[in-house]
Amino acid sequence: MDQISESKIIGVATRRVDGPLKVSGAAMYASDHHFPGLLYAWPVCATIAKGSIANLDSAQAEKMTGVVAVYHRANIGKLYRVPPAAGMSLILDEKRPPFEDDEIRYYGQYVAVVVANTVEQARAAAESVKVTYNRDKPDANSKLLGSPLTTDKPEEKSKRGDTATALKSAKVKVDEVYTTPVETHNPIELHASVAVYDGQKFTLYETSQAVVNHRDVLAQMLGVPPEQVQVITRFLGSGFGGKLWPWPQSALAAACARNLNRPVKLVVSRQMMFQNVGHRPAIEQRIQLAAEPDGKLTAVQQDYVNHTSMLDDYDEGCGEITPFIYSTQNLLVTGGLARRNVGNPTAMRGPGAVPGLFALESAMDELAVSLKMDPVQFRLKNEPEMDESLNIPFSSRHMKECLTVGAEKFGWSNRTPQIGSMKKDGVTLGWGVAACSWLAARSETQASVELRQDGSARVACGTQDIGGGTYTVLAQIVSHETGIPVSKIDVVLGDSALPSGPISGGSWVTASVTPAVLEAAQKASQALLLVAVKSDGSSFKGKKPEDLELADGMVRQKGQAQGAVPMAEVLQIAKVNSVSGQGKSEGTLEDSKPKYSFHSYGAQFVEIGWQPEIARLRINRVVTVIDAGRIMNPRPARNQIEGAVVMGIGMALFEETMYDSRSGAPINNNLADYVMAVNADTPQIEVTFLDYPDYNLNALGVRGVGEIGLAGVAAAITSAVYHATGIRVRDLPVRIEDLLPMPKVNIA
Amino acid sequence: MAIDEHENEPKTSLGRLTRRSFLSHVGAATAATAIAPLASSSASAEAAPTEAASTKIPGTVPITLRVNGQSHAVQVDPRATLLDTLRETLHLTGTKKGCDHGQCGACTVHVNERRINSCLALAVMQQNAEITTIEGIGGPENLHPMQDAFVEHDGFQCGYCTSGQIMSAVAMVKEPWGKTDADVREAMSGNICRCGAYPNIVAAVQAVRRMS
Ligand code: FES
Ligand code: FES
Repeated sequence: MDQISESKIIGVATRRVDGPLKVSGAAMYASDHHFPGLLYAWPVCATIAKGSIANLDSAQAEKMTGVVAVYHRANIGKLYRVPPAAGMSLILDEKRPPFEDDEIRYYGQYVAVVVANTVEQARAAAESVKVTYNRDKPDANSKLLGSPLTTDKPEEKSKRGDTATALKSAKVKVDEVYTTPVETHNPIELHASVAVYDGQKFTLYETSQAVVNHRDVLAQMLGVPPEQVQVITRFLGSGFGGKLWPWPQSALAAACARNLNRPVKLVVSRQMMFQNVGHRPAIEQRIQLAAEPDGKLTAVQQDYVNHTSMLDDYDEGCGEITPFIYSTQNLLVTGGLARRNVGNPTAMRGPGAVPGLFALESAMDELAVSLKMDPVQFRLKNEPEMDESLNIPFSSRHMKECLTVGAEKFGWSNRTPQIGSMKKDGVTLGWGVAACSWLAARSETQASVELRQDGSARVACGTQDIGGGTYTVLAQIVSHETGIPVSKIDVVLGDSALPSGPISGGSWVTASVTPAVLEAAQKASQALLLVAVKSDGSSFKGKKPEDLELADGMVRQKGQAQGAVPMAEVLQIAKVNSVSGQGKSEGTLEDSKPKYSFHSYGAQFVEIGWQPEIARLRINRVVTVIDAGRIMNPRPARNQIEGAVVMGIGMALFEETMYDSRSGAPINNNLADYVMAVNADTPQIEVTFLDYPDYNLNALGVRGVGEIGLAGVAAAITSAVYHATGIRVRDLPVRIEDLLPMPKVNIA
Repeated sequence: MAIDEHENEPKTSLGRLTRRSFLSHVGAATAATAIAPLASSSASAEAAPTEAASTKIPGTVPITLRVNGQSHAVQVDPRATLLDTLRETLHLTGTKKGCDHGQCGACTVHVNERRINSCLALAVMQQNAEITTIEGIGGPENLHPMQDAFVEHDGFQCGYCTSGQIMSAVAMVKEPWGKTDADVREAMSGNICRCGAYPNIVAAVQAVRRMS
């Protein structure tokens, strides 16, 4: 593959091009859209988690002031099921269209929707719809290993060697169970759908991380051709995976708009965010590790079970990283799904890898303790030469350097291994470390670039900017290729009518758009050179286009600054408004015989402070070293890693969605009781990028940084907690009562 | 249903599309102060008195609100929060809803120069108040120093909590807090940023505090 190493703009800290819109409230998010005649929809949510609707009485609601319609199973109209997903199209988690039958399978399931003139009227009427239920006892049990599974036995995910024998004969072993609770994505932007129907075409303003897939899914559900659906997400108040695939409110808003022939806005409440739009499932993992006394790993086994909903199969894939992160001859990963009365789980930032690495890296720390080995040295010792699960080379792996550079920056050599042995200002310190990894990939992408007579350029791609800086990245790539400054490049994205772009997931947007946008910009440049040699009055007339180039926004003889003519002038002389080029890049995801193992790597070092006398646990500082290829725009990249570390602190110490075992309701369904890290929880975070370009992935050598920063953080924190307190917390989140010597009281 | 055709036409730039779609939604009179295009500076800061969306809807009552120095005679549902009134009636959508329960800070505005959660205030009770929203602080073409600092220090990712962060920050700078980063972290902890841009938010606020 081509290698582009020199650039004036790639890798240079660049102010976000969409920044001024975001800081002034001018950026338009889905629920900001307004149309004449707009109506408001408010769903009615089931108040049981299992059973069926006995009776739904909407008479009173219908009579209330401002109410336009109450829809339920009998009158919502056609909503179809979607055929099975094909590649990156037709993906959705909750496959049953809303109101399809009268059965209730999770708490909060939509059973009706009210449409009214104001949001207050819609909500009041929704609360007045009388629903009676035949109630069954729900199962929201978080005990998972050993539960009945959706398959006869756990599925084998990865296997090599003979793990059972190696474990049996092992000299040093760890065999523990780790649990992670339900986590709710909780982007600050509520999921929202504003649906506009003109009698034929649907224009849907959605909170979507994947506008093209969203269009395809909604077209199927509504029973219209995809050309009659346009999905728009100009700005997204982030998603963390929760907005990857459509949720039922989108179909409801569209159906209401269709039925009433008026625009309809449906904004999901924060309470519904805990019920109706996915979550990271509850997971139990048993990890067995074996090593020689010198620290060489001999066997790794991971058995996980995650919960899923009653109708759909969501596999967290906790063995994402396990098969290739360390060298071991014997390895087995198995996984299973257990049905519960919960809404469907979905991918949350770093799906599989994040909970998987919490368990694996915790066990690695436990094994290092048993071996009396330094945990950094223990990991370095088990560094693989190649991807042992696929028997292919790593494209670009610098895990060892992540660990050594991190140890250096953190001051790891000053660590004393004895529990509670490190003190500062009367506070007990704990130091912990974990390694991390996340996949790198390209997804099929199309893009177009236009060069215009006014000296500006336009780049269009049907992808999204969910906060990672994609608007700016697209501008940077075009600027790199054409020399046009970023300030003169219009970026258009977030619209399914644009050339089909990647989903904002898997941390692969930047890697995916790079080749397509480069190609589109090159083709637009060639079209410009053709104009230059063919137009009357052009100083390049009659020259060969291959002898010319577009550099610094000027057309010139290759390598000669003299005689260069600005792009705008070339087009003006030719009386041409614009030239354009299309680009396309292939995905790596569909590659069944990959040549390289593509991943990003990192190391997380954490210091905690523990004050048992006031039961205070604080994260003091975090040092993170990331090997994620070349970094396109260091400013937002560092921001994303820091933000992921903050989320990791929440995962380790605060976040857990709790279900009432009697009703099946998520009981801490608000932002006061579901605790997320706030500004005051934020420690000093030092982020280092190793910045090794991965040219096997694309010409710029860029990968992506959306998810890797979260992986490993929780394990580094619990290892630090162990170092300070001697207490190994294997069930997240760490609770203060886990750390205090209190007798356990069982309240039956 | 008259939908502006531009809404369906992805041909314009980031900035221009935002402005055009906004104009098409609320009429030019109120739009000028709120949103200017990325690449043009012609938008006037003058806004005429507005009757935005004052069409009579059954069950609503007439009130007058002073927002960003301007009086608005509007019809609102008596149960409407200030937040929903700003967003749904006045179409000042820069103020965001994250929880509707006073738990996230996304809806922070100034009422008589103090920061409040607009989701916890009823619109009908704010008739004598001076309300300031993010649109009243500065537009994309004439950023307030705090807004500029947020761009410079990358104090956001998705941008959804950002209006609230900035409104909080502008008020916080005038409140009696200590000088340290820890003070800023404490003072800004009513504004959740799920993207976790906290280090950069602190950097932006401190940069502005050092300037003044
Ligand atoms: S929306 Fe008002 S505090 Fe969250
Ligand atoms: S920038 Fe996304 S929530 Fe703060």
